[in-house]
Amino acid sequence: MTRFILKRLGSGLVVLFAVSVLTFFLLYISSGSIARNILGDQATPEQLAVKEAELGLDQPIAARYFSWLTDALGGNLGTSWFTSEPVASSLATRIPVTMTMVFAAMILIAIIATLIGVAAAVKRGWVDRVVQIGAIVGDSIPGFVIGIILVTILAIQLGIFPATSTISPGEPASAWVLSLTLPVIALLINGVTGGAQQIRSAVIKQLERDYVRTLRSRGIGEREVLFRHVLRSAAPAGLTVLSLQLIGMLGGVVIIEQIFALPGMGPLAVAATGQSDQPVVMGVVMYTVAVVILVNLIVDLLNGWLNPKVRAS
Amino acid sequence: MKFGLKAAAAALILSASLALTACGGGASGANNAAGAKTTTLTLGAVQEIRSWDPAQAHVGHFLQPYQAAYDSLLLREPDGKLSPMLATAWKYNDANTKLTVDLRTDVTFSDGAKFDADAAKANLDHFKKANGPQMAQLTAVSGVRVVDADTIELDLTAPDPSLEFYLSQAAGLMGSPKALGTEGIKTEPVGSGPYVMDKAATVKDSQSVFTARKDYWNKDVQKFEKVTFKILVDLTARTNALVSGQVDATLLDPKTGKQAEGAKMKLAATEVDWQGLTLFDRDGAKNPGLKDVRVRQAINYAFDRKTILDQVMLGQGTPTSQPFGKASGAWVEELENKYPYDPAKAKALLKEAGYEAGLVLQVPSVPGFETQLAVIKQQLADVGVTLEVGSAITNTYTTDVAAQKFTSMYFSLFQGEPWVAINQIISTKALYNPFKTTTPELQAKIDAVQNGGKDAGKLAQEVNKYVVEQAWFAPLFRVNQMYYHNAKIDVTPQIQMAVPSIYNYSPAK
Repeated sequence: MTRFILKRLGSGLVVLFAVSVLTFFLLYISSGSIARNILGDQATPEQLAVKEAELGLDQPIAARYFSWLTDALGGNLGTSWFTSEPVASSLATRIPVTMTMVFAAMILIAIIATLIGVAAAVKRGWVDRVVQIGAIVGDSIPGFVIGIILVTILAIQLGIFPATSTISPGEPASAWVLSLTLPVIALLINGVTGGAQQIRSAVIKQLERDYVRTLRSRGIGEREVLFRHVLRSAAPAGLTVLSLQLIGMLGGVVIIEQIFALPGMGPLAVAATGQSDQPVVMGVVMYTVAVVILVNLIVDLLNGWLNPKVRAS
Repeated sequence: MKFGLKAAAAALILSASLALTACGGGASGANNAAGAKTTTLTLGAVQEIRSWDPAQAHVGHFLQPYQAAYDSLLLREPDGKLSPMLATAWKYNDANTKLTVDLRTDVTFSDGAKFDADAAKANLDHFKKANGPQMAQLTAVSGVRVVDADTIELDLTAPDPSLEFYLSQAAGLMGSPKALGTEGIKTEPVGSGPYVMDKAATVKDSQSVFTARKDYWNKDVQKFEKVTFKILVDLTARTNALVSGQVDATLLDPKTGKQAEGAKMKLAATEVDWQGLTLFDRDGAKNPGLKDVRVRQAINYAFDRKTILDQVMLGQGTPTSQPFGKASGAWVEELENKYPYDPAKAKALLKEAGYEAGLVLQVPSVPGFETQLAVIKQQLADVGVTLEVGSAITNTYTTDVAAQKFTSMYFSLFQGEPWVAINQIISTKALYNPFKTTTPELQAKIDAVQNGGKDAGKLAQEVNKYVVEQAWFAPLFRVNQMYYHNAKIDVTPQIQMAVPSIYNYSPAK
């Protein structure tokens, strides 16, 4: 087991390294105007040269990468070229906002999708048809459109929720809940419909297996069959879908945070990428890749725990 | 199937309870009581500022938050007139190479330090070496000398007709000399301005909160108890925040403006930028056709400016043939409609120039201007000019412009003070004159502006006439900036700024 984890972490580090090299060189291609972007279009060539030297842009690309890498390995992600704010502290204030949202949405997706998926698989008939239609509708509307519809009705017309985030010091916890409700709903609808579909098919497939018939023929109750056996066997499919959704959500949350003015990772990533603010972009990318690697690892471990067959392979 | 029903019920209950808990919270900010005079001002800011160090201050949208914390040497009135603020009087020598500035003696900074000539010099010196986004504002200043406790002298390497303007902008913001250059001032401003930051309520990238400074010297510009800048980068978020009452004022665009007007918001519009073609390659280095003034004029005659403005910008702006702004002093009434829509004349000019068979004009695609490019492509095609739209510009475009990668470009450019505009789009030093086109005649006119002192604006009219007659550009229109506010406050637009100065807001009468 330990060996498995170490192996996965090792390959994760290789991926991190590869992505860091790739991102750094891609940013290099589009970073030609940094000094001018910072100093404005009236800056003289001398002023531009001073700024470039200050940012280390006069160094060769390989030297710049290794200097970034050694700093990053020492825990120093550098400071933003545009705001002079340390990258680590920008990430530290933004990660909680984004992660609160993503994890709240994930937990709700897991619960709601499982309930709906299982209900559709077990009941079939009209329940199943409603779920199927809902899944198509839910899947076809992008999260940000749902977000805008929710804001227009629930915030602007009815005034129940704030239209944009009010998260700030001194605001009670209820402000957090109110501010995050609409974005979380906008985030989770696609996930719920997609997840419910997968869980429905997985459960149906298990219910048709021979072992279920055997269990039933031995007089084991329907509830026990479903909970102890069927759901357990269907879980890996569900977990895999959830992990893919979480990774996809790291992208979707960028737009949702913009619409709701939430001070999360999204606006930081968008602003930094638009300006080619290399230290910030590198920080955001490294962090995101690390989350993806960890989520995949955790899902694999959970799958192994739920289903011994997976462990063997 | 007992369980199935239960599961479905559980799912229903869960989603219902979600909706219910959400409903329990009550409205936030949507129902502000009207009637009582407001003492707070909440503004939707388009971007977080980079650093509170006054030397890192910027122009336009990004000046306003600094004005809450910092006074400037000169104060720029809404109509552009320069008035005393921390400077009581200022005067050039005859050669316009030395500016003597008299200062107030009764002002302190929020950390208790006193404002005097030494403090002013410390600020200007700091600005020159801090590598800020507007450091070019003091390029002409070679040194600052303290004459006595309330007088400084600025020595210039060459006359700079925009220097007084700059002293009302980023270069004129005065921070406490004790705080300049420290780490602290980057996150917490220390100035002598009308408001002080409430550090506890301020969250980076979310909001900056300021409260009125108790013993502020200039009560005329301190009209609120509390000022909050709420960072709303996204246009949709700004629209929603304004119409739901979360902010009192913010910058929108013509389309979202319709929604704001539906919610009874008021518009404080002002023209700040012009949009149109810049014909970079006037010497014909890469596109020989552009060397002929008749070709450049033909391009100007090809556009039905009014229709394009109505269709693309919902009529929010003014058609124009000149690149200088109405409030700049260099604006000339006769040039406004110098090139009316006249396809026949355009064709005739092209024929005269030997391009009857057609001319190809290359421009890069510019994100956000796709519609404009499609429309001008159509209108140019009508007179026999083929517009080839290349790949989109990226954030390296300034380098690409400087490297003469583009022979023409459709863009939106700021219309500032004449000398600022000349150095942005016309002089041989200007970024947007990458082929460094000039003539002795034009250079003489530019020199006259530089040495013109108080007459610089009027002298710049000659530069304007020259570049319009020579058709260096094909301007289409000046664009309205759509700044909206609610009925709780009054807002006076500020010339050349999409977002007004902080002094221009007051509680509604």
